[in-house]
Amino acid sequence: MSSESSVGSERSTPARDTRRFVWLLDPRLVMTAIGSLVVVVLGGLVQVSFGAYTMTIGQAWAAVFDPDVLLNRQAWNAFLLGGEMPEMGTESLIVWNIRLPRVFVAVIVGMNLAVSGAIFQAVTRNELASPFILGVSSGAGLMILLVLVVFGGLTAFLPLIAAVGGAVAFLIVYAIAWKNGTSPVRLVLAGVIVGTVFGSVQTGLFFFADDIGIVQSAIAWTTGSLTGTDWEQVRMALPWSFVAILLAVAGARQCNVMLLGEQTAKSLGMSIEKVRFALSGVAVLAAAASIAVAGIVGFVGLIVPHMVRNLVGSDYKKVIVGCLFVGPALMVGADVGARLALSPVQVPVGIVTGLVGGPYFLYLMRKKQNMGEI
Amino acid sequence: MTRNASETRQRNGTGEAVTDEPPVDTSGSETASELSGEDLVLRYPSTDEPVIDGERLAATPGAVTALVGPNGSGKSTLLKGLAKQLAPDEGTVLLDGRDVHSMGTKELARKLGLLSQESTSPESITVEDLVYHGRYPHRGFFETVTEEDIRAVDRAIDLAGCGHLRGREVGSLSGGQKQLAWVAMVLAQDTDVLLLDEPTTFLDLHHQLEVMEIVETLRDESDITVVVVLHDIEQAARLADEMVALEDGAIQARGTPEEVVTEELLADVFEIDAEVDVTERGPRVTPLRARHDAEEAERSPADASEAE
Repeated sequence: MSSESSVGSERSTPARDTRRFVWLLDPRLVMTAIGSLVVVVLGGLVQVSFGAYTMTIGQAWAAVFDPDVLLNRQAWNAFLLGGEMPEMGTESLIVWNIRLPRVFVAVIVGMNLAVSGAIFQAVTRNELASPFILGVSSGAGLMILLVLVVFGGLTAFLPLIAAVGGAVAFLIVYAIAWKNGTSPVRLVLAGVIVGTVFGSVQTGLFFFADDIGIVQSAIAWTTGSLTGTDWEQVRMALPWSFVAILLAVAGARQCNVMLLGEQTAKSLGMSIEKVRFALSGVAVLAAAASIAVAGIVGFVGLIVPHMVRNLVGSDYKKVIVGCLFVGPALMVGADVGARLALSPVQVPVGIVTGLVGGPYFLYLMRKKQNMGEI
Repeated sequence: MTRNASETRQRNGTGEAVTDEPPVDTSGSETASELSGEDLVLRYPSTDEPVIDGERLAATPGAVTALVGPNGSGKSTLLKGLAKQLAPDEGTVLLDGRDVHSMGTKELARKLGLLSQESTSPESITVEDLVYHGRYPHRGFFETVTEEDIRAVDRAIDLAGCGHLRGREVGSLSGGQKQLAWVAMVLAQDTDVLLLDEPTTFLDLHHQLEVMEIVETLRDESDITVVVVLHDIEQAARLADEMVALEDGAIQARGTPEEVVTEELLADVFEIDAEVDVTERGPRVTPLRARHDAEEAERSPADASEAE
């Protein structure tokens, strides 16, 4: 020890920077954020430029940066608070009222799903965890269908109701998998089975729908779709997402300690059960907020945290922040494909994320020696 | 109960000139913390039979207490009970006179540190970041790293001798280097009581000695009360001020290494014939053969239970 320790103490180690947000300047994180922003901006510009109403790219860009809208308080009041829409040109109206909100919803959904997945993976110490796999999505989806088909009057509370459904499903999965602690494999199996049961009930509900329109919108919910989303969805998801993301960033250090294993976390003085419960609640809220506006979009919550970990390392402070950028990039990119690939037919964005995410996940599975524990 | 430091050093042969040094008693000062378990009954949730059934254990303040015993004798279980990782069915664990179950989890973690047997961490975390996690109980929810945290981490890394590994990722380290990093983490916790569960098992000789030297340094230069579970009885004898031998969840012997490590005890507890020579480095054990009495053979399946 003596020789090694003297070597260690002689070498001048750079003093640790104690400023609160200095870790944000990690070059890998900055590069990830910039790369993702480029994808989001490019995807967004493609989205506003193309569509049923043809306009030139120049016209579309001019509309996006139309000062009459950008600097108009009444317009923002209409967008964010649902007030009266001011007069504006046709291009601006289409861009700002139809095409841009869809991009914003994609951004919000991407952030929420990615953060939700990242937290679930830390809480369960399981790389395979995600709101989709742990049954949260199907629980929330079932509640949404119930509201649409049976209790039509409760539509305003959709995110909350979805959150309740997701939380109940997660609790059931956790209870089934719990046996003096949970193992990754047991959690995934329990999640798949609970998800399948809830999925059957969802399909069963279709038979009680009164007209074909409800069935179609129900199918859009269960596959995950951004078709027809506008400012109302932004208004619905934004407050919940804001709360969930704030709590997720604040909880990142708890996630880091959680990753050291239950015993170590306990001996460091963490109240494991409380923290796990609180963090799961945040993850359920984030997932529910996105499911309430876009339905069940698969694979985003599963693969984005993986990609981010590969890019920035396993420090959860960086992982969560990275997810806030990479999640939107994937969602916006996938929605470009969903909206424009088979134009004029739009496919649900969940199909695109499934087509992209599934193979990526299989590739990860083949590449990694032991999948499962982080 | 406490022996003075010079005597301790002499027995362990750590190399200093012993007899003419003034006997500075650092190991048993009045400020050292006291940890004791009274009438402990411990069991795992999955088992009906208690692993430890009504035992008392008092760790000598400021000294090193070693728990030894065969596989499944309950030494790790006892350690988990002392660290509040297992809630006792009966009995209490007192830290400086207070029941540990009445203390908040973070409050306890500032006074009592535990290094578990198998620790896992993400591969890509650096040693320094890992050690900083040891400061968790000292930090509030929104607090950033303080000067004190930095000092404690530097001290811990220095003491554990892993300064040269500081920037390395844990996943790239050997088993022994990993263990040093974990030791540094639990040292950064800066506790009065330190519980170590088989810290040298699975390490090569070099790293075994490194870990033992760390514990020796703690014993000689600080007031930390150490309880350590050790597999190697010779190592335990060399390191400990007091030894406790367990068999089948019951304490069979306690006392100084010379009192505990005897041929009779090795025959009774470890079921081996062995020669014990008293050397200046403490008792030396030469195992000769395993004992195969009929009675012994019948009992052995129970010993190999999951109680470890």
